[in-house]
Amino acid sequence: MDILTQLKKEAEQVEVLSLQNEKTTVEYEANQLKTCAVAETKGTAVRVIRNGQLGFSASTDETVINKLAANALESAAYGDKAPFSFPDPKPGPAVRTFDKAVADLPIARLVEMGKEILDLVLRVEPDARCNIGLERSIVTASIRNQKGLDVSFQTSPLSLGLEIDRIEGDDVLILYDQFGATVWDNDYLDFARNLVEKLKKARTITSIQPGKMPVLFAPTGTLALGLPLSQGLNGKEVYKGTSPIKDKIGEKLFDEKITIIDDGTIDGKFASASYDDEGVPRRRNVLVEKGVLKGFVYDLKTAAQSGVESTGNASRGLFNPPEPSFTNFVIQPGQTPLKDILSGIDEGIIVEDLLGIGQGNIISGAFSNPLALAFKIEKGEIVGRVKDLSIAGNIYDLLKNVAAVSKEAQWVYNTFYAPYILIPEMNVAGKG
Amino acid sequence: MRDRIQEALKRSQADYTEIRIEEKETTRVVFRGKELETAGANIDKGGIVRCLIKDKGWGVATFNNLDDLLTKVDQAYQCAQVGSVPEPIELASVEPVEQVMTVEMGRDFRDISLAEKKALAERYNQILLGHSDKIIDTQAAYSDTFSRIILANSEGAYIEQEKPSVVIGAFAVARDGDNVQQAHESLSSIQGYEYVLDKDELARKAAQKAVELLTAKPVKAGQYPVVVDQMLAGVFIHEAFGHLSEADFVYENPKAREMMTMGRRFGKGLLNVFDDGSLPNLRGTTLYDDEGTPARRNWLIRDGELVGRLHSRQTAAKMGEKASGNARAINYRFAPIVRMTNTGIDNGDTSFEDMIKDIELGIYACDAYGGQTQLENFSFSSGYAYMIRDGKIAEMVKDVILSGNLFTTLENIDAIGNDFKWLNTGGGCGKGSQFPLPVGMGAPHIRIQNVVIGGE
Repeated sequence: MDILTQLKKEAEQVEVLSLQNEKTTVEYEANQLKTCAVAETKGTAVRVIRNGQLGFSASTDETVINKLAANALESAAYGDKAPFSFPDPKPGPAVRTFDKAVADLPIARLVEMGKEILDLVLRVEPDARCNIGLERSIVTASIRNQKGLDVSFQTSPLSLGLEIDRIEGDDVLILYDQFGATVWDNDYLDFARNLVEKLKKARTITSIQPGKMPVLFAPTGTLALGLPLSQGLNGKEVYKGTSPIKDKIGEKLFDEKITIIDDGTIDGKFASASYDDEGVPRRRNVLVEKGVLKGFVYDLKTAAQSGVESTGNASRGLFNPPEPSFTNFVIQPGQTPLKDILSGIDEGIIVEDLLGIGQGNIISGAFSNPLALAFKIEKGEIVGRVKDLSIAGNIYDLLKNVAAVSKEAQWVYNTFYAPYILIPEMNVAGKG
Repeated sequence: MRDRIQEALKRSQADYTEIRIEEKETTRVVFRGKELETAGANIDKGGIVRCLIKDKGWGVATFNNLDDLLTKVDQAYQCAQVGSVPEPIELASVEPVEQVMTVEMGRDFRDISLAEKKALAERYNQILLGHSDKIIDTQAAYSDTFSRIILANSEGAYIEQEKPSVVIGAFAVARDGDNVQQAHESLSSIQGYEYVLDKDELARKAAQKAVELLTAKPVKAGQYPVVVDQMLAGVFIHEAFGHLSEADFVYENPKAREMMTMGRRFGKGLLNVFDDGSLPNLRGTTLYDDEGTPARRNWLIRDGELVGRLHSRQTAAKMGEKASGNARAINYRFAPIVRMTNTGIDNGDTSFEDMIKDIELGIYACDAYGGQTQLENFSFSSGYAYMIRDGKIAEMVKDVILSGNLFTTLENIDAIGNDFKWLNTGGGCGKGSQFPLPVGMGAPHIRIQNVVIGGE
């Protein structure tokens, strides 16, 4: 008997997630092909609410469905009271997340794409050591619950990651970027080309006097600003009381040039889908509009705990119950062309990458990181790479006064869309 | 199952084929603050096929459906076929073993009800919450895992192992105004449920340390003689030295290979370091590694000299050495890579009292709170520490970060304690995406001269 039917007899609410994933991976290490692998995962995760108490269990063993059901019921017997109900069926937006062209890529083609990336880099930098990961998954998920909700969707995420290590004497340079999409993109090599451009620019080394100066965050560097913010905007942190902005809906917290959107409906993007991992339709959530805090991201449980509606942000792996999470994190591009931003800077730095983004107490908004890749801007020109610098700050202070947000923006790290952001003054620490 | 595995192995055209099947049940109960975060059990069952074509490379297939092993072998073989390697891959020879083993726990946690496990975690959580009104956040966790693993290969090996594990952890955050401090204690056993009972002291210690740290002064930066407790010493040797002994790190990194030359001096003559997966009842204990090589005692440093490394069959062949029993995978979804098992600094002969009695001004650093290593440079935070003044333990200090160069630091170890202890903590080691792998760590107290301590 189907587990949903079986458990409906025993519990007043039941939700069943069936997840199937075939993941093909090709890895190059130190310029050599290292592994080719295919991983197939198939499993079921169940949540039940029985006598008002919430239980969870998951299994990848199809032959013991009865045991899965028993584990879920037992978990509920000792679970906390569930503050929410599983959702009614509601139609979600049409979102493109599957492309046969991606799903049908044979492993030999992935190997070939890896070689294309390798050749691209070694042509410019023959002494570089590249680690390349190419990963194509075909994911089928179905979510059903006792209210008749029955949604299923397929995604074909393709992820390409490139790490370039260049060691020249004492100078160690490690660059990384990735490209992710669920729909085939003929420009899949662009991210590698951009990384190689950075590598070329990094050949010229110069120095800058530490101190107060304008700091321009490039899209890859903007993650240092976005990551603490994504935690502060998370409904779970708001409910726990750990978000510094938990009581500030409606307040102007940031410069009016800052608009932040969580958008799970963008075609072809990695974190997009018609529904979240509880079957709630995904949407475009405007969280910060012209500097004013509008809302947070929630799943069913945290929404109920906070007295609001789910924003369609439930996310989970097979063996864990859902938690709220950002889908595609978008910092809206601004009005100013990058060249105008640069020409307005007499002396400053542009930050491409920081070491250890995410480490430390970032829920408070504070970050402190050495700069892994930064360049000096002198009279509007990028004149060379600067080393041994670090910056620190709190985003809740820094983003109050933003000098410019560029028109140009990029997708970085698969689910992050960011422009260039100019902070008029920060203290840059380091050796002179 | 055995017949199907042998059939699949016979079908394979690869130079070497290996099949590992794992069936695992896990129970977890986690309290966070006043809330129960989770209480329940999960089942994870699956397998992995590895095929080696010597002049092409490895192909790997992992799966949950065990019904069509033959298709999985084909898939792994196809993956191997698209590869190419600059020189043929060889595997060090290992005598194929046939063994089926089962374990017997003291109190088998599979017979304990979820209600009882929840009550245990709740009890420890109450101790944390109730210790002081300065405690603002807690986590008390119970987990147990029972794995059955079958490993077979085309050379005739067939091994069945059972691996139980039970872990409790207590974590406390204390706050006084803007001053926030935390402490953590954990305990693990592979012997039975009874080992995590009656451990109120563990929860009390976590809460107590968090509160004590609120009034500890930040340490003054400088160079000090430092006595390191067994916990910090064990973590230090694992992180700062153990990973460098893993041969897959060495042979891919020319700088590392140069650093890890056999016979090179790694500390004074009193330093001895080993890794041993064959010791009974420790967190990293295993009869055979995940390639079927028997676990054994591997000396890494003997009398201050580098004498050994840790290998998989592939790294051993590549470096002309013997397989050491250190090829491990965290679960069936991963191929084995070179990992530690139980790593320790061997016992010495100095008592703790003798170690501190001649120190006018020094630091007693305890517990490990994370760290980073980059080749031979390391940086570790100790959980908490005390000043040593005139040969006695004095006031508690916080934010004690030890950093430096591995070689200089090992050379500066001038006393090794006679109080060796296996740490038996929970948690595990991370490498690549394989985290947390259960490992054992042990050491006596050690004294290190001229340690650079960061701080105010």
